[in-house]
Amino acid sequence: MKDALTQVTTEASGIFAGLKVADFTWAAAGPIVTKQLADNGATVIKVESFKHPDSIRLGGPFIDDKPGINRSGFFADFHSSKLGISVDMSNPAAIEIIRPLIEWADVVAESFRPGVMRKWGLDYASLKAINPRIVMLSSSLYGSEGPWARHPGYGAQGQALAGIHGMTGWPDRPPAMPKGAYSDSVSPRYALSALVAALIHREKTGEGQHVELSQIEATAQLLAPELLVYQVTGEEMTRAGDAKPGSVLHGVFPCQGEERWIALEAVTEAQARALQAILGLDGLDRSAVAEATATRDAFALMAECRAAGVPAGVANKASDLLEDDVLNAHHHFWPLDHAEMGRLNYNGPAYRFEKTPSALRFASPRLGEHTEAVMTRVLGFGQDDIARFKAEGLLQ
Amino acid sequence: MSGTAQALAGMRVLEISALAGSVAGRVLADLGAEVIKLEPEGGEPFRRALPLIPTARGEESAAWLAYNHGKRSVTLDPVADEAGFAALCASADIVVTDWERLDLDTMDRLAGIARRANPALVWCEVLPFGRGGPYERYAATDTVLQALGGHLYLNGDVDRPPVRISLPVGLIQGGVEAASAALMAHWHALKTGEGQRVDVSVQACIVWTLLNSTMAWQILGLNEMRGGAIRKERANRFFTRLVWETQDGFVFFGPVGGGGGSARIKSYEALIAWMAEDGITDPILTRHDWNGDGQFFIPQEDYDAVTAVIMGFIASKTTDELMARSVRERILLAPISSVAGVFDNPQFRARGYFRPLADPDRGLQVELPARWANLSATPLAAPRPAPLPGADTAVLLSPLNQGSPA
Repeated sequence: MKDALTQVTTEASGIFAGLKVADFTWAAAGPIVTKQLADNGATVIKVESFKHPDSIRLGGPFIDDKPGINRSGFFADFHSSKLGISVDMSNPAAIEIIRPLIEWADVVAESFRPGVMRKWGLDYASLKAINPRIVMLSSSLYGSEGPWARHPGYGAQGQALAGIHGMTGWPDRPPAMPKGAYSDSVSPRYALSALVAALIHREKTGEGQHVELSQIEATAQLLAPELLVYQVTGEEMTRAGDAKPGSVLHGVFPCQGEERWIALEAVTEAQARALQAILGLDGLDRSAVAEATATRDAFALMAECRAAGVPAGVANKASDLLEDDVLNAHHHFWPLDHAEMGRLNYNGPAYRFEKTPSALRFASPRLGEHTEAVMTRVLGFGQDDIARFKAEGLLQ
Repeated sequence: MSGTAQALAGMRVLEISALAGSVAGRVLADLGAEVIKLEPEGGEPFRRALPLIPTARGEESAAWLAYNHGKRSVTLDPVADEAGFAALCASADIVVTDWERLDLDTMDRLAGIARRANPALVWCEVLPFGRGGPYERYAATDTVLQALGGHLYLNGDVDRPPVRISLPVGLIQGGVEAASAALMAHWHALKTGEGQRVDVSVQACIVWTLLNSTMAWQILGLNEMRGGAIRKERANRFFTRLVWETQDGFVFFGPVGGGGGSARIKSYEALIAWMAEDGITDPILTRHDWNGDGQFFIPQEDYDAVTAVIMGFIASKTTDELMARSVRERILLAPISSVAGVFDNPQFRARGYFRPLADPDRGLQVELPARWANLSATPLAAPRPAPLPGADTAVLLSPLNQGSPA
């Protein structure tokens, strides 16, 4: 098999083949953006500080339930197709390695708390002085300016501040925490749009720029209609439990088995009639529906509903997703082999290009896996340089 | 910086949409594209979607207004007027559409016309499951897709059925995903002249909101369980409280048992120092190293006991009080914002996130969450009113104006 560097440089295909990305992002919201570039052909070089590696390398799930810097599935999923180098970024001499990387790059992406890139001499003004055409993406939780800019936080704080948490649960109960640090998954979609727009602008005009966003502000776009309702009517919409205005029937109902649920929504009268026929009911009284579904197999009921044109979805568990007929027919999961983690199914993109297919080319990099290859074959350093950097403690 | 060109200046986008396509168009319009909605006589059905708000022109959909300001509108039935549609497509870079507006057969037919008229065109579709096989025609709604994407199962209280997020998050995220994918495809077209079809699966968009669940199953055989205010954080085997009632609302806060890390440890130290100032010095607060290596072996009853003490303290404060000091002392606490909380958030306000929209036709003077990114050379467009149905028909369908965007 060809090594990773050959795969990403000389054999790249996809929309971003030839695009060069210096990737300083960490955690989830940043790496999910650069993953889209990498899985579409860009050469993405992830820079980690070996004294402070990406923190989600320290977050589970770990292979065999044993923590280890190269054992996190959480990290792996966001780092397909990326090369990884590790440098002691706290050493001011690191700029000797980073400077040629910036000269090489089209894009620099980062997601640190505001101030970190400046501390390293890598804020936008400094990058621009090195490479005037650079496009820089800075994604942080609260944004780079403002009274809360340096407040610590993660996606859980992000989804609370963006209003997503308050919109989840039952109106008669405290808000239920939604799964998944929601700002980490919403903001990459906005960040990627802005970044690609900046690349298009650069392609047309030659002008680079700095794209800055707050993950919380991007996520609060989901409440734009509710913010309008509030201003015009004074009404604050909130979490609604099982209710959804405008549908004939909307709810989540129990099925056979432990914690088996199906979401049913009849939007039209025709769908409502078809659902009644499937359930053997005269009406769609909620408790009668729940009683009827409780004895049914969730997947069989969904298949019947699909055949009859009734919107229905099993509340899939993670284990179901990996066996989901539709996701698998769509080749959503990509099995990739990792030297320490073995073969795992990585999540592929939610979009499909007809003519320029995306490809998850190889598994996530071990810490510093490609340092030497990148140093010599991308940045033009010799073995003597590498020996010197190691002696200086810049490289391991 | 007004007067500066936007990143997508000169790009023309056609939109044949309901919610998802409108959101895609919203993102592209914010970035500077000219977005033209193709609507039937009297406007597209999405203009009447719930919730409705009163305007000087009668009731209109809040979601429609929120995602369609700053666009243009042409009254055109692309099925009946193939030639008119083809001519518009010849002048466009991207078409976005979604399944709530067009059935698949119509979509295919229109895509054929559009792409024959313009080989460099990007035709972008938001579909429940994406393209291919029988599944592309399965009926679905946003709630059904929140379920099938695996997110709904993980939301809600354990003693009730799981719940959706009470927003059409799948459709909106599918729309944003479509914007970014369409731009990627346009990047390719710019370089090669080759257009293509791009399809987005809302189900897969929802799967991406899980972040680590599919890996947790593969690696640990773990299916997480929903929890309301109290849950097992990460892969913990004990329950901790994460939602706390304040004097006037709720905050999210994981003071203990959250997996370690220096930020959590410092946050807890700052909390108990503050509690001590208020005279709360219960020994349970310091009985264990609550965020250290031993946290996994602390008995559940001790977690419950420390929670009771912290709960009393938090209930005695207002959300604003808690947040002001938390920002100062780096306590990892965040308000669970209501809609008003989002609107009044001091960080958003200081950053100029909200921008005014004056819409005299509708008698609206409002602020929109318009500045979702800051592009140093090409700032996002300022809000402009949403178009009345067909407002730009005469101008845009005149043969003289089909060559280049206005």
